[in-house]
Amino acid sequence: MPGGGRCPDCGSAELVDDSHYSQSQLVCSDCGCVVTEGVLTTTFSDEGNLREVTYSRSTGENEQVSRSQQRGLRRVRDLCRVLQLPSTFEDTAVAYYQQAYRHSGIRAARLQKKEVLVGCCVLITCRQHNWPLTMGTICALLYADLEVFSGTYMQIVKLLGLDVPSLCLADLVKTYCSSFKLFQASPSVPAKYVEDKEKMLSRTLQLVELADETWLVTGRHPLPVITAATFLAWQSLQPSERLTCSLARFCKLANVDLPCPASSRLQELLAVLLRMAEQLAWLQVLRLDKRSVVKHIGDLLQHRHTLVRKAFRDGTAELEAGEKQQQGWGKSPGQGKEEAATSSLDRPEGKRPASPALLLPPCMLKPPKRICPPPPISTVTGDEDISDSEIEQYLRTPQEVRDFQKAQAARQAAIGVSNPP
Amino acid sequence: MRSLLTLRTPRLRPSGRQRPHWWVRKEISRSAESGSGRVCCTPGRPLPSGLPPGTSPAPLFPGAELGAPLRLRTGVAQSARAGRGGAGGGGRPGPGPPPPPPPPPPPPHKGLVRRRCSGPLGAALPALLTVGPPPMDEERTDLELYLDQCFAQVGQAVSILKWKRRSFERGVNLHGGQPGVKPVAWGGVTPGPRLPLLSPVVPDDVYMPNSSNPKMVFNSHLEEVKETPGHFSSVDLSFLPDELTQENKDQSVIRSKHEIEENCKTQSQQSSLSLPREQDIGLGLIGSSSLLNSHSHLYPADADSVQPSLEKPNSMPLVSITPMTPMTPVSECSGIVPQLQNIVSTVNLACKLDLKKIALHAKNAEYNPKRFAAVIMRIREPRTTALIFSSGKMVCTGAKSEEQSRLAARKYARVVQKLGFPARFLDFKIQNMVGSCDVRFAISLEGLVLTHQQFSSYEPELFPGLIYRMVKPRIVLLIFVSGKVVLTGAKERSEIYEAFENIYPILKGFKKA
Repeated sequence: MPGGGRCPDCGSAELVDDSHYSQSQLVCSDCGCVVTEGVLTTTFSDEGNLREVTYSRSTGENEQVSRSQQRGLRRVRDLCRVLQLPSTFEDTAVAYYQQAYRHSGIRAARLQKKEVLVGCCVLITCRQHNWPLTMGTICALLYADLEVFSGTYMQIVKLLGLDVPSLCLADLVKTYCSSFKLFQASPSVPAKYVEDKEKMLSRTLQLVELADETWLVTGRHPLPVITAATFLAWQSLQPSERLTCSLARFCKLANVDLPCPASSRLQELLAVLLRMAEQLAWLQVLRLDKRSVVKHIGDLLQHRHTLVRKAFRDGTAELEAGEKQQQGWGKSPGQGKEEAATSSLDRPEGKRPASPALLLPPCMLKPPKRICPPPPISTVTGDEDISDSEIEQYLRTPQEVRDFQKAQAARQAAIGVSNPP
Repeated sequence: MRSLLTLRTPRLRPSGRQRPHWWVRKEISRSAESGSGRVCCTPGRPLPSGLPPGTSPAPLFPGAELGAPLRLRTGVAQSARAGRGGAGGGGRPGPGPPPPPPPPPPPPHKGLVRRRCSGPLGAALPALLTVGPPPMDEERTDLELYLDQCFAQVGQAVSILKWKRRSFERGVNLHGGQPGVKPVAWGGVTPGPRLPLLSPVVPDDVYMPNSSNPKMVFNSHLEEVKETPGHFSSVDLSFLPDELTQENKDQSVIRSKHEIEENCKTQSQQSSLSLPREQDIGLGLIGSSSLLNSHSHLYPADADSVQPSLEKPNSMPLVSITPMTPMTPVSECSGIVPQLQNIVSTVNLACKLDLKKIALHAKNAEYNPKRFAAVIMRIREPRTTALIFSSGKMVCTGAKSEEQSRLAARKYARVVQKLGFPARFLDFKIQNMVGSCDVRFAISLEGLVLTHQQFSSYEPELFPGLIYRMVKPRIVLLIFVSGKVVLTGAKERSEIYEAFENIYPILKGFKKA
């Protein structure tokens, strides 16, 4: 038993909580003396003061499944059924929830966190089986905040020591595209907008792969990229009729939410396609822009591997050549290296307007917002003298203190006056 | 004396232990050295009952062996076990020896001393002998034997380290070739043919996840070792991990630094200032704060000074003595130094404070008890922020270096003093340091999370960067696709530098998508 209970007979501290039939008794394990019986609360004497032990501090909660845990397990099963997951997923998710519940930090967490934990367990199960389920979907189903969800998710992954694989992009494309309501004519979807599912799926997949190759997917939320790719695929399959339709309208037609970053992903994807188009001889003469390139997406995708290599190859080769030059000159600080590389690239940029661009993530291509100067080398030792005047500048003079107090009192009075009415 | 008939009960596994324990081996070694080893040289395979039990498999194991004295294995059926024992004797490095064919019938004996068996191995390395665990089948026995040997060698490695540490404490110059220095652990056996065995034995925490540097240096050192088999004192064991506990490491670092300093004065090859500096840089920046205070101003100039000073490691034989992080060759250095961005430190002012009074009399303080139970005070030089609590504890954040943090904390303490409180300056401690740098190439985060799954966490739906939790040193790195790296969680500046040097080769591997 916790605490310092002693047997009144022999004085031993080895008290055991045993139950005689259905009556709980506190028995001394040395002499068998029954110390207390039929006690509903556990007590321990602390310097003569008998105090109750709360349920959370006793061992009761380890011995039975608590009501909140039962509720949580029920919600896990319900969530799996709502998402129409296979039955094996249900058992795994329930097991994770139980495992999580054994930790005291989770047991003592707020209800909101326990609700979110349900979603985390289901998400982990799906990820481990490569079932494409996004956090946004789960948060929407649970009416949960993504921040709370992310905090709980990271905590539980660390606590249980789990290995959670990344979201499988190809599967996500398939499930997400299938959710677009464009495959059958309906009152809201005119016939010219209806599209064949397989064609759209395959083209979307190719576009997403292209985005992955050209650094548009790394570090970004995958869903907006897929939305932009789906839109481009849909447009390119019948460009004559669909060029007039905007991304927002497309999502409304398809009954899908438009994620905010999707429009910028769309622009980035179009920029990549334009660069690739410059490498195709019969497209160079056409002088394509972001709208007209959509018509030729089919051709571009067909030759996408070679085009990407050609469109961006020289950029990286130039960068490599620049680096090799730098190495030949011996070691130099990183800044010098960068300058030389960019200068060697600037020259071909000036000569050939359609020169290959660097294959880099967009964040590296944009100019830096502000150039951070290297911090000045300070020779502070930490033990210098601190002058009084420097400290005085931070203190108020007595007059200032009085003024400040008057102002504060006035403010309090004003608040007091405004509040009651 | 027990009946030896129990030995011949075939394949009876003992109830409890399967592996010999250290104390058992000690017993064996003691009995071996005393030469009165009771032999239970039973064959590996269960004998037909007619054969007397004392048969020795000696012809198969040229070094002979010492079986476990029976009295140590009371109550345990020894059937096919003991004969296997001693297979590791004689310093056999490879995997367990092939199972012995049935030995020729020896003359009957009653468990008396077998001089033949114990002779050549009287002085043999006792720790290498195995008792031979009871086998399930032959392969398992061999494996067990091999594992026992490895186990023994771990013990050797540890004892080598201990010896090394003790030598340092005594100021022994390993390379000076002192003739009388003989490590106690070896027991007189030449280390030469056995040293390559140390390679599989180095515990896992030495092999920092996928960092090539220690491995490379390790291999180069290993080759060096093989070239000089006989002379122990020329063996360079600096590649072995610093398994020393933290405080011992610091002590030995400081001691070794002193040693090196006094040695370099005698050698007078370079200015005495530059040698410790290059030591610090080349050896992964051993981070004692005393070193930092004197050399902090040298760090920004690192990038240039590193390369020339590390050009000639051979001229500084003492450099390789230090048991800390192995020296990285010049070509491995990244040439990038992370900049410190933020230092969080705490200090105890050791007096109860009236936060209302502080907020009233100090211009640079804000206090909103409903929002947070501390005064938030700011000073301009160094540009920092402090949280001052009513208990007298203070947290100072925003400084760019350790010294600046200390100066800022002192200024805050002085402000509190001027307000009339008896503030002191106790237990100043740096709690966290954050650094950042740019590797200047794009990093494929998906590839990185695939290969380093156990350390990385990459959730693009939540955060655009990859969170890499490095084990040694214990630092968390945020790696972004643009090549920017943020390192946090360090208590010492050297940890940040070390972590970056560890991650740089990994990142270079993921340069192209």
